[in-house]
Amino acid sequence: MANAKEMKEVLFGPVFANNPIALQVLGICSALAVTSSLKNALIMSIALTLVCAFSSLFISMIRNHIPSSVRIIVQMTIIASLVIVVDQTLQAFVYATAKELSVFVGLIITNCIVMGRAEAYAMKTPPLMSFLDGIGNGLGYSVVLLTVAFIRELGGSGTLFGIEILPLISEGGWYQPMGLLILPPSSFFIIGFFIWVLRTYKKDQVEAKA
Amino acid sequence: MSSNNETIGKTLGVVVGLCLVCAVVVSLASVQLRPLQQANKTQDVQRNILAAAGIESSADVFKTFNENIEARVVDMKTGEFVETDPNSFDFESTKFDAKRSVKLEKAQDKAGVQRMTTESPVYFAKDANGKVDTIILPIQGYGLWGIMYGFLALDVDTKTVKAINFYKHNETPGLGGEIQNPRWTSMFEGKRLPLDIVKGTAGNSEHKVDGLSGATLTSVGVDNTVDFWTGDKAFGPFLANVRKGALN
Repeated sequence: MANAKEMKEVLFGPVFANNPIALQVLGICSALAVTSSLKNALIMSIALTLVCAFSSLFISMIRNHIPSSVRIIVQMTIIASLVIVVDQTLQAFVYATAKELSVFVGLIITNCIVMGRAEAYAMKTPPLMSFLDGIGNGLGYSVVLLTVAFIRELGGSGTLFGIEILPLISEGGWYQPMGLLILPPSSFFIIGFFIWVLRTYKKDQVEAKA
Repeated sequence: MSSNNETIGKTLGVVVGLCLVCAVVVSLASVQLRPLQQANKTQDVQRNILAAAGIESSADVFKTFNENIEARVVDMKTGEFVETDPNSFDFESTKFDAKRSVKLEKAQDKAGVQRMTTESPVYFAKDANGKVDTIILPIQGYGLWGIMYGFLALDVDTKTVKAINFYKHNETPGLGGEIQNPRWTSMFEGKRLPLDIVKGTAGNSEHKVDGLSGATLTSVGVDNTVDFWTGDKAFGPFLANVRKGALN
């Protein structure tokens, strides 16, 4: 069943057509918190993509042996273990960023995207496709995160990846940074605009009027 | 899912098996990576001590630190040097070690730290002639959201602030988080104790520093932190000894 076309759809579908944040509106919490700089957003994206892909893979591998009465706990255990491993790895290799991401890496455990994919897809699909689905959804999350972080870091601090793009007034330049963009609520607006733009292009994502 | 998955035996088996596998994976990751994490943590603290001393740290922080900084431990009550290993301190956890710390009374606990260690490391930076020219004190205090950890560098006269920095805090990014901004911390350079952090009226006064706008409570926290750690309950006795020539 896993032909190339289907695999491509599973992998890239979630990026725009079925984006976990923009369409399913999952995983908003961390999207608000870690997007004040691109570097944090990038590391967070990588971490979430890895966790999502591997948790889907492992859950799918044992899906035929998971008793349905304890399935959520089983999923949580696998996800939590992966998150701890990722967190420990970050602390060992990119300490400064791990310090800034702090609690949000741990919160991947409760990230609805990971849980959602495990429960909705990996529980009924073979491992390879589940793995691709995990990566696909991770990519969808990453696209939104990086877009938001791009706007927030450029507008709020005048930098991209910490490199100065717009010289700030306070450092002798001309750019007055926009304070709102530094604060988490600005992500709400940016994600809102993102969804708006996306739905203008892909009209089928607009919910039917009740 | 076949129905034989639902028996109690199978459920227990799956759960126990999974827990064992996960426990092994997590423990392995934790144990294998711990040395690297510890090194990162130590390096981070050392980098901040170097920054407080105004020493440019090269790629090898550890080497720069050992070449330029001398660490010693002082007893808080007497202000005398003691022979404890300075590396045995962890600024975040040692104060919860009942044998090595005391609880602070509310009235005395100006910095809001609740507990403090009975001994503390202090760091000395030396000038070109090998004479101590900077004393670096570890400080911590409650800001708006949590404890701020940092270092205060004083001149050997114990009255002139050379630098202050914070390496760990939970203040709001962009507001209280600006306590890490060099533009703000550089305003402390050359000021004299006792310090007062005021609202926009510091001017050229040698005892006053402008607070952070939009972060009044954080500024108050920093003010209290500096007062507390340079005061009688903390490094006061040690600084008094230094004035009497304890370093010579």
